[in-house]
Amino acid sequence: MSIIGSTFEQIKNNNSRALVTYTVAGDPDLKESEKIIENIISSGADIIEIGVPFSDPMSEGPVIQLSHERSLKNKTSLEEILKLSKRLKKKFNKTPIVLMGYFNTFINSLEIAKGNHDINDDICRELKNHGVDGLIIVDLPFEESEEIYNKLTEFDIDLIRLISPTTNDLRINEILSNSSGFIYYVSLKGITGAEIDSFNALKERVESIKKSSRIPVVVGFGIKDKKTAKKMSVFSDGVVVGSAIVDIISNKQDLHFQDIFSQISKFVEGIKSSIQ
Amino acid sequence: MKDKDNYSFPDSAGRFGEYGGKYVSETLMAALEQLENTYETLKDEENFKKEINEDLNNFVGRPSPLYFAKRWTEQLSGAQIYLKREDLNHTGAHKINNTVGQVLLAKHMGKKRIIAETGAGQHGVATAAVAARHGLECIIFMGEEDIERQSPNVYRMKLLGAEVFPVTSGTKTLKDAMNEAMRDWVTNVDDTHYIIGSVAGPHPYPKIVRDFNSIVGVELKEQSRNLFGRYPDKIIACVGGGSNAMGIFYPFLKDNSVDLIGVEAGGSGIESGEHAAPLSDGSIGVLHGMKTYLMQDKSGQILSTKSVSAGLDYPGVGPEHSYLKDSGRVEYDSATDEEALDSFHELTKTEGIMPALETAHALAHAKKIAPKMSKDEIIVVNLSGRGDKDMANVAKVEGLTL
Repeated sequence: MSIIGSTFEQIKNNNSRALVTYTVAGDPDLKESEKIIENIISSGADIIEIGVPFSDPMSEGPVIQLSHERSLKNKTSLEEILKLSKRLKKKFNKTPIVLMGYFNTFINSLEIAKGNHDINDDICRELKNHGVDGLIIVDLPFEESEEIYNKLTEFDIDLIRLISPTTNDLRINEILSNSSGFIYYVSLKGITGAEIDSFNALKERVESIKKSSRIPVVVGFGIKDKKTAKKMSVFSDGVVVGSAIVDIISNKQDLHFQDIFSQISKFVEGIKSSIQ
Repeated sequence: MKDKDNYSFPDSAGRFGEYGGKYVSETLMAALEQLENTYETLKDEENFKKEINEDLNNFVGRPSPLYFAKRWTEQLSGAQIYLKREDLNHTGAHKINNTVGQVLLAKHMGKKRIIAETGAGQHGVATAAVAARHGLECIIFMGEEDIERQSPNVYRMKLLGAEVFPVTSGTKTLKDAMNEAMRDWVTNVDDTHYIIGSVAGPHPYPKIVRDFNSIVGVELKEQSRNLFGRYPDKIIACVGGGSNAMGIFYPFLKDNSVDLIGVEAGGSGIESGEHAAPLSDGSIGVLHGMKTYLMQDKSGQILSTKSVSAGLDYPGVGPEHSYLKDSGRVEYDSATDEEALDSFHELTKTEGIMPALETAHALAHAKKIAPKMSKDEIIVVNLSGRGDKDMANVAKVEGLTL
């Protein structure tokens, strides 16, 4: 079982739910983003998603788009993010690290990958050597990535896939049999940070997916506060929070770094306690 | 070559060889599937074909003439130059060939709301026009920088009842307008159809947009037979995303005697790095749902592009062009801003036809090669759009105020 799998197992044994967080590497800069992630782990997050910035983040709402822009202004590269991941892994060897980004960055930024236009053995090895436990590639549906899934599996890296409100049953089955780690259920039709409109429909949907899934199902997009997180945790295996944390980071100009730290800690601790 | 004779791309996975595909978020997969099924069901139905043909004849004004540029030919003193007059279409460019078709698909799918991206504004205007004609809500995403340099088209879209949404993210041009349109689509996917304006984006768009535009090449075949008793020696078209080029090239792909030439935006020159020519100076990657040639830096980040023409100012290109470049069936070259501006003026003064700045890139290439060809050879340039929209921009570039 992968480290992501055993993390969920342990959380389940404690009768709790997983808290997955998302922040973008390199925002406000690489060093501070590393400290922010360390802070998030110390505050109780179970799984860390590190956003890999892309010039054209098509699925992101305004808050995360701007975070990608700030990170790219600092010229954050995948190579540096991998080093960051390795350092985190050294300090927190029990916390799974998942990179989340867009396909082009994964196939075109590492020197060893040039000219392949695909995720090959070299890339997998590089990811594994830097402590990466899973990937979420937003613009890579299963039709385009059966081989990539097999390759990643060989290297014991999970490929976490998204299921959305528009995914039909046929596709759900395909996705479930081509995923590992956990299923990321997108709570709404829209972009990151938008508003969830129907809890009941969401609940039914997640419960039905859980019935046929051999891996945990977490809910993300639109979870901004303790109240929403608590409601979600009743029927899912965990929640993802991203925009709400990135929003705190984006206020950096008006705040001292210590204030951002304590705001994020308070927020993460609050969410974690609400889903216990 | 055997390969070319059996040309049947895209395959069932939406691939042109290695290129194309569907690289989008899960939320959009159902909408793409619905669009593909609707198109595949309708495209050969007699009623649907009749409906489209009626609109092409009576709303667009097809067929577009094949015009002999007599004075320009004499001036260049080489091959005979003919212009396929897409500028005479309703709304002034080839873009309407695609929108009249896609709006019918939208209606068949029961969608009430139309969105589109636009660079030069021609696709935005063509979309706003068909949305008005069918009484559908219409929102056009346009980069803030393009809104400035194409202001007449912005007002035209508004007059046609569309809402023009200024896009302020990223480079504030066509690629960012497309990102924003995708974000809207993912949010409103139930009642909204996204009319992509080029042979770009995820499958089935490159195929659908090509098919709807291929009326241009189909007409040219018949016109050539009637006028010359044969096909042209060379066909030249400008390439941004590449829809006018695919439209005129596609019916000729199997006719190996016809040289097909696509002309990209060379900006300040390919060697300067400031251009919008991914086929001439790019590398393979994935953007906007497709695998294709892109302008990107060494970290896989998409580069901002430079071209005097907003319609070509795009870092990617339709996946079929990437395939046709690799296979060698189509030759790709580029023309600089300066060469395009020069041809813009030359055609306007010599033939009394003001071309779009996009089209002027294709004309610039014709100007380069025509003098080296013999007088009995024939070049057809796809005159993809009219230049009225560019007047303020040309004046500004040349330091004039209107």
